[in-house]
Amino acid sequence: MITQVDIVGAPNKVIASQNTIIETTHLCREFGQGDTLVKALTDANIIIERGEFTAIIGPSGSGKSTLLQLIGGLDNPSSGDVFLDNKNINHMTGTELSDFRRDHIGFIFQAYNLIPVLSARENIEYIMLLQGVPAAERNKRVDRLMHAVGLEGLGDRRPAELSGGQQQRVAVARAMVSKPSIILADEPTANLDSKTGADLLDMMKELNEKQNMTFVFSTHDPKIMERAKRIIRLVDGCIVDDERRS
Amino acid sequence: MTRATEAPKLDKASSPATLISRLAKRSIFRNTRRTLLTVLLISCSLAAILFTDAFVRGMVETMVEISTQTFLGEGQIHRVGFREANDIDLYIEDTTTLYQQLNTTTAIQAFAPRVLTGAMTSSSENVASAIVYGIDAIKEAQVSKLKLAVTQGDYLSGIDGEIIIGEQLADLLEISLGDRLVVTVSEANGGDLSQALFRVSGLFSFNERNMDIGMAFINLAQGQKLLNITGVHEVALRLQHLHQAEDKSLPFWQTLNNDQIETLSWKELVPQLSSMLAMTKYSTLIVSIIMYILVCLGLINTMFMSIFERQTEFGILLAIGTRAKQLFYQIMLEGFFIGLLSVTVGLLMAFVLCYWGSIIGIDYSELEMSGLTLNEPIYLILDASSFATMGLATLAVTLIASLYPAFHASRLQPSFAMRKTL
Repeated sequence: MITQVDIVGAPNKVIASQNTIIETTHLCREFGQGDTLVKALTDANIIIERGEFTAIIGPSGSGKSTLLQLIGGLDNPSSGDVFLDNKNINHMTGTELSDFRRDHIGFIFQAYNLIPVLSARENIEYIMLLQGVPAAERNKRVDRLMHAVGLEGLGDRRPAELSGGQQQRVAVARAMVSKPSIILADEPTANLDSKTGADLLDMMKELNEKQNMTFVFSTHDPKIMERAKRIIRLVDGCIVDDERRS
Repeated sequence: MTRATEAPKLDKASSPATLISRLAKRSIFRNTRRTLLTVLLISCSLAAILFTDAFVRGMVETMVEISTQTFLGEGQIHRVGFREANDIDLYIEDTTTLYQQLNTTTAIQAFAPRVLTGAMTSSSENVASAIVYGIDAIKEAQVSKLKLAVTQGDYLSGIDGEIIIGEQLADLLEISLGDRLVVTVSEANGGDLSQALFRVSGLFSFNERNMDIGMAFINLAQGQKLLNITGVHEVALRLQHLHQAEDKSLPFWQTLNNDQIETLSWKELVPQLSSMLAMTKYSTLIVSIIMYILVCLGLINTMFMSIFERQTEFGILLAIGTRAKQLFYQIMLEGFFIGLLSVTVGLLMAFVLCYWGSIIGIDYSELEMSGLTLNEPIYLILDASSFATMGLATLAVTLIASLYPAFHASRLQPSFAMRKTL
């Protein structure tokens, strides 16, 4: 079904469906210039529906991380557009983009990337503090998420006092605490042992199914590929395959 | 691994400002050694600036006191034109009215009338030129330190024939206490030579060569008689407070200046000292500016080291929704906290050092500066306004130094800051 909707910065743009949450059009990212020009991503056109559990795979240097960065508004494309929730993020101001990321996107990183001077609880709470969520609501959500990721009793520990698996659980809780519509995860299981990785993936899969959150992974992990409903394969910055699974 | 008790609930504050402040406070102690070294650099610089300021204040006061209290006085009255021409004919004739006026001026604590002239002093062994002052022994003791400077013999008692001379002049003339000395001068209003015989009743030492070799003192009445005048050439003033000499708006400066007499403060009488002291104050300013530049560079270096180490973290903060402006405030707050800590430590260090210097004093005995011998220790002067001003200036400098790193951090592109983490 083709629907006409109003899109920030690109009014009257035709998008695939009202259920579309991520759309990239002719997305390119180049680094350097002249002889040192590197085309990290070439003409990427992707449409991701709400609630999809998508894995972007490909060899190292194929452009997975670049694509994820562009979708998350962490980098600016050389050309093309990124639409999230029907909004062209490339036309947003810095503050608008920050607020959009804060309210609509959850990030999970390979290296956990927690704030070392904050406790586990404070790391999870961080985004809600930016949003100005009242203390009672914050505490309720943090308690619920800590229970969900199995970190009860560890809230006052700093990241350095937690194992890798526990840190990644905190990172997952932080990504989900603001109830974003999209979760972008860059090789979230790469630094975890297989059991911890599998547990985390099951937890994310459950969230995807129960809360209809959209997950986009960049990964080499077969466990993620097994669970993914859709696999986009990148080679040398180009999308070479887009497989949907029932 | 779990703990028996659940983590305590977080504070009630829900504003991003509280979060930023918490992050900033914790971040400055992430590398405690580096933070403490930075704090030490800034606080030592602040203490050094305040010590220099207190020392300069002490030195200025000591030099002014030495200059004014030794002999000059905090002000002097002369007949108009006397100082320029050094003409002994230009003396103040109506001393009665002037003395009445001086006695009724509350700002004036004491005054000492003087006559003075260039003279030839002759002993049986040698001849030397000197400035001979005729002084009122009692009044002079209230204004200058001449009486205290007498090292041998007695101060003037008012009897004719007494003379006190500097020790070095005595050496030059090869005379000592009780020896005879002939003083030859030109009389006023005509220029006839006038001579008188004196006996050395005392020797003085101001520890300043020009005074000790070039001055002699006789009683005022005999001086007037020798010069054949009834008035005086100079009246030295001792004011109630030193600062009155600098405040030309005080009424007595106007009433004691007319077409007959001029009254000048020590600043006008010894402009070279005044200029030197002004230059000293500029030196303090220059030292302060250099110190502040060093503080700035040191802090910028520390902040950048900290920022480069935490670049990935800043990328994460920006990625998860921290606004660039909020990151900017966080770095500025870190600078502010470092500044606040440094200023507190620096002020304490400065207070201890300056207080010690104000009690013990720094001895510069026999050092001569701008024609003045520092024969008294320099006592440091603590000035509350300097402490407040320099403290605030240091805090301002730390904030200024934090601007560049804060701008740098806030302008980071998240993907660049995180490099290959996402």
